[in-house]
Amino acid sequence: MSKRVLVVEDQEDNRQILRDLLASVGYEMIEAHDGEGALAVARAQSPDLILMDIQLPILDGYEATRRIKAQSDLRHIPIIVVTSYALGGDEEKARAAGCDAYVAKPYSARKLLETINRYLT
Amino acid sequence: MNLEADSTSFLGLRPLPARSRGSGDGASTKNGFLGFELRPSLRTKLLMAFLAIEMLLVSVGVIGLLSLREADQRANQVVGLQQKIEAYRQMQHNTLRQLYGVSTALAFPNETTLAVVLRQINQFGYDLDRVSFVAKDEVALLNQVREEYARFIAVVSHIVDLIRGGRAAEAKQSEFAELGPLADKLERLTNQLVNRAEADMVAGIDASRQTYVKSQILVAAVALVSFVLTLVLGHAISRSVIDPVRIIHDGLNRIAAGDFAQRIEVPNRDELGELAAHVNSTCDELQQLYRSLEEASRHKSQFLANMSHELRTPLNAVLGFSELLLDGIYGDPPEKMRSALERIQRNGRHLLGLINDVLDLSKIEAGQLRLSLADYSVEELVNVVHTSVEPLAADKNLSLRIAVPAGLPPARGDERRLAQALFNLVGNAIKFTDRGEVRIEVEAGVDSYVFSVQDTGPGIDEADQARIFQEFQQVDNSITKAKGGAGLGLAIVKRIVEMHGGQIWIESRLGHGARFSFLVPARLEQQATQT
Ligand SMILES: Nc1ncnc2c1ncn2[C@@H]1O[C@H](COP(=O)(O)OP(=O)(O)O)[C@@H](O)[C@H]1O
Ligand SMILES: [Mg+2]
Repeated sequence: MSKRVLVVEDQEDNRQILRDLLASVGYEMIEAHDGEGALAVARAQSPDLILMDIQLPILDGYEATRRIKAQSDLRHIPIIVVTSYALGGDEEKARAAGCDAYVAKPYSARKLLETINRYLT
Repeated sequence: MNLEADSTSFLGLRPLPARSRGSGDGASTKNGFLGFELRPSLRTKLLMAFLAIEMLLVSVGVIGLLSLREADQRANQVVGLQQKIEAYRQMQHNTLRQLYGVSTALAFPNETTLAVVLRQINQFGYDLDRVSFVAKDEVALLNQVREEYARFIAVVSHIVDLIRGGRAAEAKQSEFAELGPLADKLERLTNQLVNRAEADMVAGIDASRQTYVKSQILVAAVALVSFVLTLVLGHAISRSVIDPVRIIHDGLNRIAAGDFAQRIEVPNRDELGELAAHVNSTCDELQQLYRSLEEASRHKSQFLANMSHELRTPLNAVLGFSELLLDGIYGDPPEKMRSALERIQRNGRHLLGLINDVLDLSKIEAGQLRLSLADYSVEELVNVVHTSVEPLAADKNLSLRIAVPAGLPPARGDERRLAQALFNLVGNAIKFTDRGEVRIEVEAGVDSYVFSVQDTGPGIDEADQARIFQEFQQVDNSITKAKGGAGLGLAIVKRIVEMHGGQIWIESRLGHGARFSFLVPARLEQQATQT
C-alpha cells in the first residue's frame, strides 16, 4: 500500500508541483486548502505525513500544527513545515509549534523528497 | 464623517483650538485685578526686585543724610559754646582791665588815665551786648551779671567823679570797699557761666561722638540688612527664573531624545509658565506626528512584506515547475530545453534574491529586525558559509581558503545574520574575482572577532570605497555591470554588523584585490541601538 501524504497548501500551482513530484515517486497525495481543513482531513484519513504551508487562510500553519500535535491520536504523524523565505523567527516558531522538520521556500524538489523519505521509510 | 474627524485629530489640528478655548474660558474670570497679584509677569517680578533694592539704597542715603545733619548741628552748637566762652573771658578780661585802669587813675589822676577808664565803661556795654547775644539761654545768670555790671559801672563812674573832684582818699576808699568785691562777684558769676558753657561743650562733644558711633552702627546695620535682603531677593528671583529655565531645558533634552510622553511641570505662572505650557503642547503635537510617522513606517514595511510575499508566491511556482522539468519528472527534456530551463532557474533565483534583499533592508530600516542572540561557534559559522559557497568557487576555478584559530570559546550573537553577512562578502569576492583565490580569515581580539574576506579580484578605487556601503550603490564600471546585482548586499552587511555594535571596513587598491573586514563583539548580550 502506497504512503499517503497530506499537503496543506492554498495555492493550486504549488499543489500541482507537489502532486507531480509525489506521483513521480509513487506516493499518494491528499489535500487540504487551509488550516481547518488540515485538521479535518488529518482526522478522517490519518495520513502518513503532513506537508504544512505556513501562510494559510482561516488558521495558519503554526496553529494547525499545534492543534494536530495536541491530539493524542494524531500526534504521531510527522509534520514538515514549509515557509517562505523569512527574516528569522520562523524556524523557531515552527519548532515551538511542534513540527518535526522545517523546509524553507524555495526548496529544491530533490531536497524536499529527501526530507520526506526520511520520515516515510 | 468618522474618517474626517479621525484625520483632523491625526494631524493635530483639532486639539489645539479646543485647548486654547478651554483655557480662555476658565481663566477669564480669574484674570481680573486679582489676577495681577496671583500671576505677576516676569517683568513685574524683576521690576519689584529692582524697586526693593532701589528703596534700600535710598534708605541708606536718607539715614546717612540725617546723621550728617545731626553732626552739623552738634558742630554748630560747639562753635556757639566756644563763642560764649570767649565772650565770657573777654568780659572777665575787661573787668580786670577796668580794675587796673581805676588803680592807674587813682595813682596818676589826670584826664588821660580818666579817659581810659571812661572808654573802658563803653567797652563794658559792648561786652554785655555781645554776651547777651551769644548766650540768650542764660537768662537768670545774665540778668544777675547785668545788674552787677550796672553797679560796677555806677561805682566806677562814682570813683571817676570823686577823682575829678579831687577827693582821692574817698575814691580810694570806694575802690577798696565796693569795686573790689563787685569785681570778685562778677568774676564768680562769669566763671559760673564759663563752667556751664565748658560743661555744655564737653557734653556736646561727647554727644557728637555718640552720634557718630550710633550712625556708624546704623549705617552698618542698614547695609547688612540690605545685603541680606538683596541676597534673599536675588535667590528668589533666580529660583523663579533659573529653576524653570533648567526644568524646561531638561524637558527639551528629553524630547530631543524621543520621550514625548513627559510633561514639563513649572510652578511659575508667568512668561516661563507660558513657555512650559507651550513646550508641552508642542510636545503633544510632536508625539502625534511621531505616532503617525511610526504608523506610516509600519504600513510601509507591512506593505513591503506583503508585496514580497505576493511576488515570491508565483516566483516559487515558476522555480518549482522548472525544477521538476529539469529533474525529468515529466520526461527527459531535450538538451536545448534543458539549457533554457537552467536560464529560467538562474534568473528566477536571482530575482528571488533581490526581493529578499529589499525585504531585509526594509525591515532593518523600519527597525523591525530583532537579532536573536544565542551562543554560536565561530568555526561552525565559517564552515556553514564555506559549504554553501564552495560550489560557486569551484564553478569559477577559484581556490577557497579558510583560516580560523582552533579552539575558540563559544561566541554570542545572531548566528544566522552573521552568516548572512559573511556569505554576502564571500559571495561578492567570488562574484568579482575571475582568477586566484578567496580567503576567509578570523582573528580573535580581546573581546571581539574580526572576520575578513580577501580576494585577488579587480579591487575598488579609493573614491568608491565609502560609497559602496550605501544601498543601491555600485562601482560604476564595466566589471560591475557584467556581474549583475542591485547593490544591496553591502548595505545589509553594514546594518547587521552595526546592530551587533561592530564596524566594517575595506582595504583595497584598484587592480590589487580587496579585503573586506568586520569586527563584532565576541559576546553580545544586548542588541546595539541603531543610529
Ligand atoms: N570583492 C569585491 N571586489 C570588487 N568590487 C566589489 C567587491 N565587493 C563589492 N564590490 C563593489 O561594491 C558594489 C556593491 O556591492 P554589493 O552591495 O554587494 O552589491 P552587488 O553585489 O549587488 O552589486 C559592487 O557592485 C561592486 O562594485
Ligand atoms: Mg553583493
